[in-house]
Amino acid sequence: MARASIVGAGMTKFGVHEATLPELFAEAALPALDDAGVEAGDIDAFYLGNAMGGQTENDTHLAPTLASHIGIAGVPCQRFEDACATSSNAFKHAVQDVESGLHDVVIVGGVERCTPETGLGTGEMTRIFASASHRQYEQPTGLTFPGVFALLTKRHMFEYGTTPEQLASVAVKNHAHGAHNPRAHFGRDIDVSDVLDSPIIADPFHLMDCCPFSDGASAVIVVSDDIADEFDAPVDVTGVGHGTDIVPLADKPDFPSTMSARRAAEQAYEQAGITADDVDFAEVHDCFTGAEVMASEALGLFEDGEGGPAAADGRTYIDGEMPINPSGGLKAKGHPIGATGTAQLVELVEQLRGDAGDRQIADVETGIAHNLGGDAGTTLVSVLEVRA
Amino acid sequence: MSQLEIPEFLDYASWSEALKDGTLLGQECADCGHQTAAPKAACVRCGSRDISTVELETTGEVYSESTIAVSPIGFDAGFQIAIVQLGEAKTVGRVSDDVEIGDTVTLSDVFEHEGQPSPVFESVEE
Repeated sequence: MARASIVGAGMTKFGVHEATLPELFAEAALPALDDAGVEAGDIDAFYLGNAMGGQTENDTHLAPTLASHIGIAGVPCQRFEDACATSSNAFKHAVQDVESGLHDVVIVGGVERCTPETGLGTGEMTRIFASASHRQYEQPTGLTFPGVFALLTKRHMFEYGTTPEQLASVAVKNHAHGAHNPRAHFGRDIDVSDVLDSPIIADPFHLMDCCPFSDGASAVIVVSDDIADEFDAPVDVTGVGHGTDIVPLADKPDFPSTMSARRAAEQAYEQAGITADDVDFAEVHDCFTGAEVMASEALGLFEDGEGGPAAADGRTYIDGEMPINPSGGLKAKGHPIGATGTAQLVELVEQLRGDAGDRQIADVETGIAHNLGGDAGTTLVSVLEVRA
Repeated sequence: MSQLEIPEFLDYASWSEALKDGTLLGQECADCGHQTAAPKAACVRCGSRDISTVELETTGEVYSESTIAVSPIGFDAGFQIAIVQLGEAKTVGRVSDDVEIGDTVTLSDVFEHEGQPSPVFESVEE
């Protein structure tokens, strides 16, 4: 039996948007409602992911504002904040609430603007992103988020021999996938030398190892298992795991293992009654190329230390043995922080319905989403399956 | 650094005051032995409140490092950050010369940003 089902999905193109946060959110939420075939009055609750609206746009108390904008004012609604894992955490609560019988139909979504449309430049946005590191013990050093993942990745390279070329091959693959996704921020054919020749941001990461600042929104409609068959195209949610780890970074016992992801995956697989061997494809949180390598190992898709070679050998392409980030991932699709988690779910839904067009993976029944927040201090792993 | 009184309970204010004076304080858990350079209300590994203030070792090994080329607003670009293993504790700090994982470094200076200190390490010839 499923914990819940997703019966509608929508998202904007990720990229640069002039629209305000409410307008942008409506561009994802209304299509999600239409996809599910539900009216505003059918919605019992609304859970929102937005990580930084207070800092970037002086915009808080967003859930009732957005609810009012899309015609569902009055329902219980709330904003979640867990850095980049924000909207997956909102999704977890929606799943719990339909599973418990508290609600029947919940809309979950995320919206964020991170490009200069906010009025903020790279230095200011880099500072705001760094607010997810420890305020007293990390931020005063000047540590950035590329720097956080550089520290994690450098240790992975030291322990396993992961190479800059292997990291670059993650970016090459995700750009190739993004080229087939009309909603991707980027997507074009690049090669390993394009990545390695791009400027250094925080070594070992070059510019093209890093995801972009993006604007965008995404939304899904979550319903209880017992009413899912009333909808046209339900996709089952069979597991949602939520793991955390110690903050600050220096207190984490071990860097390359990203323990929050291992904890989340263990929970999610156990709920779904599956193992990593049952996973057909994954959307993972590739904020930086090294993050995808570590995620592919933490999820059990490859042995520890094999994530880099697997990427370089082409095993994670859409037509490979373990497709990762068919959407293009954060790297090519883009990363509007609060919208990223539910956007991963949108991709899983489209793949499992067989609606993914040029990027459709053949014969998929089980997909997972790995959405990481902060310095891997939070990770949520969701398992979605074709409805039995 | 003999004049500084080591506080029984280490909070951020006393940690930063000591660091500005050149002393890196931390905490040690009486129950599990974990040491941290980032003081907390309880042990981050086991939750015990039986933690005491200790002076951390000042020489250790680089656990990871990166040179930050694009910095947050308010910081100059092009500085190296390291995670340094100091005995049982690890800490983040800046590095004044080019180091790699496995290099031995020692506490050499303090970097202050808007009144908040961070340790600075330099390599030790072996």
